[in-house]
Amino acid sequence: MVNAFSCMLKKKVTEDVPATDPEIEAIGSELKSEADAVFSGSIAIRELDSGSDNATEIEINNLNNAFYDIERFGISFVASPRHADVLIVTGAVTLNMAGAVKETYDAMPSPKFVVAVGDDACDGGIYRGTYAVLGGADAVLPVDMKIPGNPPSPKQILAGLLALMRKARDR
Amino acid sequence: MAPITSDHEHQLRGITGAVVPPDRLVCGPAGEFYLVVSREEFEKLAGILAVREYALISMFCAEDLVPTHTTSLLYVFEKRGGVLVLVTDADTPVPSLALRFPSASWFERECRDGFGNVFTGAPDTRRLLFHEAYPDGFHPLKKSFRNAPIVPKPGDGSGDEYPFRTVLGEGVYQVPVGPVHAGIIEPGHFRFSVIGETIFNLEIRMFYKHRGIEKLAEGKDPKDCVRVAEAVSGDESVANAAVFCMGVERITGIAVPDRAWYIRTILMEMERICSHLGDQAGMLTDVAFPLGASQFSVLREEVFRQNASLSGSRFLRGMIVPGGLARDISPETLASLETFLTEFRKRYRIGLRIVLSTASVVDRFTGTGVLKQSLLLPLNITGPVARASGSRADVRTDRPYGVYAGHAPSVHPLSDGDVLSRFTVRAAEIMDSIDLILRIIHTVPAGEVRTEKPVRDGYALTLVEAPRGQNLAFVRIRNGVVDRYKVRTASFCNWQAIEHAVLGNIIADFPLINKSLNLSYAGTDL
Repeated sequence: MVNAFSCMLKKKVTEDVPATDPEIEAIGSELKSEADAVFSGSIAIRELDSGSDNATEIEINNLNNAFYDIERFGISFVASPRHADVLIVTGAVTLNMAGAVKETYDAMPSPKFVVAVGDDACDGGIYRGTYAVLGGADAVLPVDMKIPGNPPSPKQILAGLLALMRKARDR
Repeated sequence: MAPITSDHEHQLRGITGAVVPPDRLVCGPAGEFYLVVSREEFEKLAGILAVREYALISMFCAEDLVPTHTTSLLYVFEKRGGVLVLVTDADTPVPSLALRFPSASWFERECRDGFGNVFTGAPDTRRLLFHEAYPDGFHPLKKSFRNAPIVPKPGDGSGDEYPFRTVLGEGVYQVPVGPVHAGIIEPGHFRFSVIGETIFNLEIRMFYKHRGIEKLAEGKDPKDCVRVAEAVSGDESVANAAVFCMGVERITGIAVPDRAWYIRTILMEMERICSHLGDQAGMLTDVAFPLGASQFSVLREEVFRQNASLSGSRFLRGMIVPGGLARDISPETLASLETFLTEFRKRYRIGLRIVLSTASVVDRFTGTGVLKQSLLLPLNITGPVARASGSRADVRTDRPYGVYAGHAPSVHPLSDGDVLSRFTVRAAEIMDSIDLILRIIHTVPAGEVRTEKPVRDGYALTLVEAPRGQNLAFVRIRNGVVDRYKVRTASFCNWQAIEHAVLGNIIADFPLINKSLNLSYAGTDL
């Protein structure tokens, strides 16, 4: 047990930032300037799992770790679709989730964007043409950007979001 | 590296000998025992197995397995690594085992949905896998159903709402949560009955992510089916690929080269480290301790990067194939893993010390979400969650596979069963996994990493200790392709623990308890 006094006297528990990856920094700073220009400084994303194998969720969560720290680029994940600019859909859309997927999209204010992340969300992947799924995210929602991968790495997701920003600028 | 021990056989012969002649007990290719029984024998044996404290670890249906049955039900009983499969015909209604073996309830509902089996006296006959969008009388696992898109039931399903078990009374109110949750997590529905802030009852509804994994596997070449096994649950890709491939290897009689088994073990333990770190980071996030959460997230990212350099995939996908490995890992890569883990162990200890010396964290963890040991057997709760509630069960020691026979991990059971115990058990297991890898990494034998052999027909039932506990696969090969693939992850059973662990806790502690149980939605919903 540590008491408050010894905490004050002790060396601070901080560490250096993990090794920075110039590629991520470059994508990030472009993302930031696009977010400033197109989204008035910040982009709110709501993540929705419509039937993934959970690997994609893990990679999206990893965007928040200190290696990527996506919030410094003006991107944050929000709890409610009502606060979201962008809906990220992971996984093929299962029959059991289709209703919730549509309701989540409907709850978002316009203008809104949909990004399919991962092979299964892009086109149904290995589940395409089976009883349990309707297909990729585009089977039920208008999809603006697809980021394929099994699953895509955090860097690929960042690059995909940058591509979305550029597309949004034209819209 | 056969897991067959005469102890198991001796014990099972003792039990079944009282009911059936000894020659009917048949040993399967993976050291599991099968016994085809009549209805009367089934009931007698189920009674004996219940008294002998065997767990019902899985139950599933298969068509054309036994010459005398059109459809058969396979009941898988296990105790300390000994596995007995009772096979009974499912052509007529079967008495429900749910009251004697509570784990049977979800299994029976799953069979009823998949095949249309009828269980007499079942306490719960609601559909499990299929929600409102599915038409009535839909049983896709029957061979007569060709896997193709179906027409969802029209309407929004509001007419036939799922009847939740709820508690009524003065001051009791319901809190519905999900399927879409507030964080970056998988979907599921939780229905709380709450008095004030205290949870009085919880019923979970899962299977929103039902993707038809078992049907998808059918007709596939076993080596193509590994991709399906990896999709069962992303963070258990290695475990599920391994348990599937072990089945195929046993059926075909393939001896996996030693080098492949050593490397597989390294991959399986890396997956465990990664999974446990994620849980620990999540638990710390849920008690608002970002310093610790960030420490573990950074370490975890580094493990992901090691995974990528070992296999080309951050989730170690595409490495395990029937017969061994898809490709070798160079000695240089293994040497750099050793350097990494040696350093990692020190930094992990520092992170752990910070967390466990923070009073606010320990206070939130202690006494929260207690899971009683008496629930482990009836619900077949396994893995670190069970080991935090006093269990010593671990497939790696109870039914060793690969190199675990010579390198059994130490089991450190804790008995408090609270969030703190689950956190601590995982910490000990991370250290053990590091030690195990560092111990075997020097002795990885040279040689091939794959034995190729044409696939033979047959069936086998295999078990592994995945990060979350006992994962099971039943594989049947017929005419060279997968005819039946039943997978039961630890999460399928462990999810039912949450309904008990939250009782009496406040609703604000639910996310923490949920995270501490680390349950895979994808691995349950299939």
